[in-house]
Amino acid sequence: MNSNLSIGLPRMHLEPGEKRDFLPEFVKRLYHYGFVIFLEHGYGTGMGYQDDDYLAVAPTAHFTTFEETYQKDIVLVLRYPGDDVVAAIQPNTCLVSMLHFPTRPRRVALLNEIGIEAISLDSVKDDVGRRLVENLRAVAWNGVEVAFNVLKEHYPPPGLEDPHRLPIKVTVLGAGAVGLLAIQAAIRYGNEETWHHMASIGATGVQVTAVDHDLTNHPAITQQILKYTDILVDATQRLDPTRPVIFNDWIGLMRQHAVLLDLSVDPYECDTELLTVKGIEGIPQGNLDQYVFMPDDPAYEAIPACVPTKERRLAVSCYSWPGIYPRDCMDLYGKQIIPIIHEIAKAQGVNHIDPHGSFFQRAIGRAMLSHWSNKSPKGNQR
Amino acid sequence: MKKIISVGFPRMRKEPGEKRVFPPDFIQMLTRFADVYLSEGYGSRLGYSFDDYRQGNPCVFRVEQSEAYQKNYVIVLRSPNKDEFELLNRGTCLVSMLHYPTRPQRVETLNRLGIRSISLDSIVDDQNLRLVENMRAVAWNGLEVTFDIFEQMWPGLQRESDKPFHVLILGSGMIGKHAVEAATKLGNIERNTRQIESNGLGSIALTIGRNLSQNRLAMEALLQQVDVLVDATQRRNPSLPVIPNAWLGCLPDHAVVADLAVDPYLLDHEPPVVRGIEGIPQGNLDKYVYMPTDLEWDSTVPATIPSEHRRITTSCYSWPGIHPEACMDHYARQMTPLMEVLLTKGYDNLSLEGGYFERALFRARLPESE
Repeated sequence: MNSNLSIGLPRMHLEPGEKRDFLPEFVKRLYHYGFVIFLEHGYGTGMGYQDDDYLAVAPTAHFTTFEETYQKDIVLVLRYPGDDVVAAIQPNTCLVSMLHFPTRPRRVALLNEIGIEAISLDSVKDDVGRRLVENLRAVAWNGVEVAFNVLKEHYPPPGLEDPHRLPIKVTVLGAGAVGLLAIQAAIRYGNEETWHHMASIGATGVQVTAVDHDLTNHPAITQQILKYTDILVDATQRLDPTRPVIFNDWIGLMRQHAVLLDLSVDPYECDTELLTVKGIEGIPQGNLDQYVFMPDDPAYEAIPACVPTKERRLAVSCYSWPGIYPRDCMDLYGKQIIPIIHEIAKAQGVNHIDPHGSFFQRAIGRAMLSHWSNKSPKGNQR
Repeated sequence: MKKIISVGFPRMRKEPGEKRVFPPDFIQMLTRFADVYLSEGYGSRLGYSFDDYRQGNPCVFRVEQSEAYQKNYVIVLRSPNKDEFELLNRGTCLVSMLHYPTRPQRVETLNRLGIRSISLDSIVDDQNLRLVENMRAVAWNGLEVTFDIFEQMWPGLQRESDKPFHVLILGSGMIGKHAVEAATKLGNIERNTRQIESNGLGSIALTIGRNLSQNRLAMEALLQQVDVLVDATQRRNPSLPVIPNAWLGCLPDHAVVADLAVDPYLLDHEPPVVRGIEGIPQGNLDKYVYMPTDLEWDSTVPATIPSEHRRITTSCYSWPGIHPEACMDHYARQMTPLMEVLLTKGYDNLSLEGGYFERALFRARLPESE
């Protein structure tokens, strides 16, 4: 089958720690579906791949400039490349990326203004509302693993491996999809090997407490829980992002060795008015370059002045938790995305996707900018 | 003109409370590929008439129960009983929840009778995720029934205690995860919203792993604080309980044991299978709440199993069936793309080289007997 569609795969020029690109196996499938493939120079090098690794499985693939990869029928890039890059995209191009339409109204407005089509990977859902492209498991497991590593370094003597210590108390805020995976991960120390090791030495396990917003709005009970918490996990999806779940002064009640883990990674936005604060008030926002913060870390100075940061503990935060293990992450995303791209190839382009067609066409239809904007009362009407 | 392929829908011969049937929209969808034969009375327990299914469509037929088993494909949610397998033709493809890994005798029977099958619980995608499942309903329905009991004890869940409800969940697999969410929302979104509006204290979900659940002293201390004990375990060794019956004596008198794992007592198996929480009864869609004084308790728990310590217990072999229409609407949506592929491609032509759903179906074919 020859789709004759061109597809550009640019690299993500974000923090240096962002090493993710789609794997050769994924590009091989694109080749078999008949795409004309354009990879940015250096594609995959962050994960140790060379041009030959891609050319071996897709002999007609072209290596080209960053700019040219954005001039194709389809542009596939995992994270949103930024407003400036998007503004230069030509109409008739379809941008496929994690675009987060529901929480990025300004982004939606920009895309509509430029007049391109877009598919938001986080909105590709099946008939029962299940996301088809997601790695929430890695969000939870990677974050919890790092939190336990930090806890292990700072846990009071005789340490985390003492068989006679009390159970480690993990409190998870939020019982949505990420929260539930965080619970599963926390019981296993965020790492199956560590879990088995701890069991083999007879260490007392982990006790996880999950609380949702009907409890966290009772300060006295929440504060009591915080006093005995070793790891506090923010996995909330708040209806009101201007209000934290854990106020900064409550953190002062926590043990000195306590670790604050941020899985929600909501930003601080209060330049002109207060728009968003983190669920745990006063902890820094991390990324793939730095995701562990000591209480005296300079990153605290970058937090907007409207946010109190006086009470501090060990903090762990990363905007892209799955990126901690880039190859595993892209292997999974590749497997999840390939049927979607295949469907576009079969349809000979995004314009022929029928939102009432086959299973995957329906799933894609739900994630298309044109469909989303027309459905959302807040989106621009086109 | 009749179509080449026929699909039969027999009624499930289970407890009277089992009302689930596939919805009319699903039957209509199938007629794009096949003639559909419904057993007499199919759906009547949910209030559906044959006309609701037929909708003037000449590809929908009403037949006797035995004839519904005589078609190319037979779709029935829960596995037919042993004697019903004999009604199937050699070469028929049975589509059902067949649970191959834990039912070797069933696999042997199907092979012996020359029946093909697709086990709905074995349809998995390339990441080994089940495509037909309703584990959310297992957890939510079980916890909904459990908190209904508390609402009867304490209207509006307003009790004198200044503590939130404490729910201890054993097991953190898929059902355990949903149980945590359900527990923090009192088993029902509407009830939870009312609680928030009335400034109620809500609930705390606690969950632990095996490292801790094997520690008797730690467990006894935990159980004393618990209002609900949930079994959502998937044990590697089902011959040993997670909670010995004696430990249940530590639970407060008002506590409820919620059984979401619904493992059976199979004492004649080698090794024997016992329930995760020792001494609790197993319910079904006819009866899923057991009081400690219930006369039927002893008839569902083998005499050799310790059951001296009892608390109110909620248990149901088919928790999703508590809300049958929502359950079947969910399954129908999950099965629609799969049936399209199965009926157009055919059982014998399924391949791992095919499309996404074809690969998933291929993995659910009947294994050979061991």
